[in-house]
Amino acid sequence: MPHDDRRRRFELLALPHLDAAYNLARWLAGNTADAEDVVQDAYLRAYRYFDAFQGGNFRVWLLTIVRNAFMTWVKENRSGRMVFVPDTPAGDTAESDETMWSSRPRDPEALLLESIDSQTLGRLIEQLPAEYREVLLLREVEELPYKEIATVTGVPIGTVMSRLSRARLALKKLWLRQAETEAAHGV
Amino acid sequence: MACDRPTLSLSRLLDGALGPFARLRLKQHIAGCEDCAARLEELRAMQAVMRTKLPYHRAPPGLATRIGAALPRETPPAPSRAWFRWPAFGLAGTGLAGALAGVALTVLATGSQNGGHGGPMQMVIDSHIRSLQANHLTDLLTSDQHTVKPWLSARLDVSPPVRDLKDEGFPLIGGRLDYVDGHAAAAVVYQRARHVINLFAWASAGRDESFHADAKQGFNIVTWRRGGITYYAVSDVEADQLAEFAKLVAAG
Repeated sequence: MPHDDRRRRFELLALPHLDAAYNLARWLAGNTADAEDVVQDAYLRAYRYFDAFQGGNFRVWLLTIVRNAFMTWVKENRSGRMVFVPDTPAGDTAESDETMWSSRPRDPEALLLESIDSQTLGRLIEQLPAEYREVLLLREVEELPYKEIATVTGVPIGTVMSRLSRARLALKKLWLRQAETEAAHGV
Repeated sequence: MACDRPTLSLSRLLDGALGPFARLRLKQHIAGCEDCAARLEELRAMQAVMRTKLPYHRAPPGLATRIGAALPRETPPAPSRAWFRWPAFGLAGTGLAGALAGVALTVLATGSQNGGHGGPMQMVIDSHIRSLQANHLTDLLTSDQHTVKPWLSARLDVSPPVRDLKDEGFPLIGGRLDYVDGHAAAAVVYQRARHVINLFAWASAGRDESFHADAKQGFNIVTWRRGGITYYAVSDVEADQLAEFAKLVAAG
């Protein structure tokens, strides 16, 4: 295929998903400059391997590459810093999380959850381990089904399910702590 | 009473990722378990907040340019073809328009190759993409259906149903005029979380046709014909959600 065609075809497919790619990279990397580097690297990789794209969901294919580019970037730039924590074995801390859920009066909490503002929510998401952050983003922002989240993150679908469930518990825990702190300071 | 049913199954229920049998059983359980009902409600609240309040970081304006410049250089074109080499990616200012025109040109070429049914589908995808990129999503930005409908009707030979589907999870954003496959078309714009849905409608003779779903270039498409109007719904929302949207529109 002539070079021009290949490139135009790539742009036609890849350009519309630049915001999605950037948003994921930005939430994973944590700042603008690094996110830009990750996305640029991802697009160059995607262009290089473009012939390997066999149809299907291009956004999922591209987000997989963004995620891989982020992992490479972590190895090169943040080696030694724990970004992804290992999955907790089932029934380990999960149990204390469950207790946390069931030891409080409930309905007011759903209301509390709804009253959070964007900035605070963003700060809480940043405090989550990256593996939790990415499944939450892929599910709630990109609205991908489990199967495609598994593709992007390169883990079995069962791991996606349990990670997402744990991520939600972890977020809720941060959320309640935040609310308590606010209450203590009379905000 | 604290229930020992794991959050995992509630989380899967929330995501529509339980099989029909498991879903039914869990729903029956929840109907009689205050604890699980409350936990599910909290999960729903969190999901709603994540979907509506989490800041969305759009790509900075210069990024497309930087990427375009970093992509491997193309082979020099033959002089006779130079007229249709457009700047790649959104070069600042006029470059963006150029890049978009490049997209449109490619699409026109593809459309004519495909001919027939491939034409309009490619064109609505193209129009959908342009509407997202060119800050030209809507000519008329309003969620008031009573404003959008007459505005479109006054400018077109069709009067497509325009209904705010906010309560169903698809708020109306506005409308614009478009041109698809040789027809002046209405584009009614809806939103689903952070995703945009373009609903194209134009007058066309022919019998009513039921929903037909398709996927192309990472977008989902649902098309149907009713009452002398052809409809195309295009978005990057998941296929089942777009199907739900189409049914809501057709029901209106």
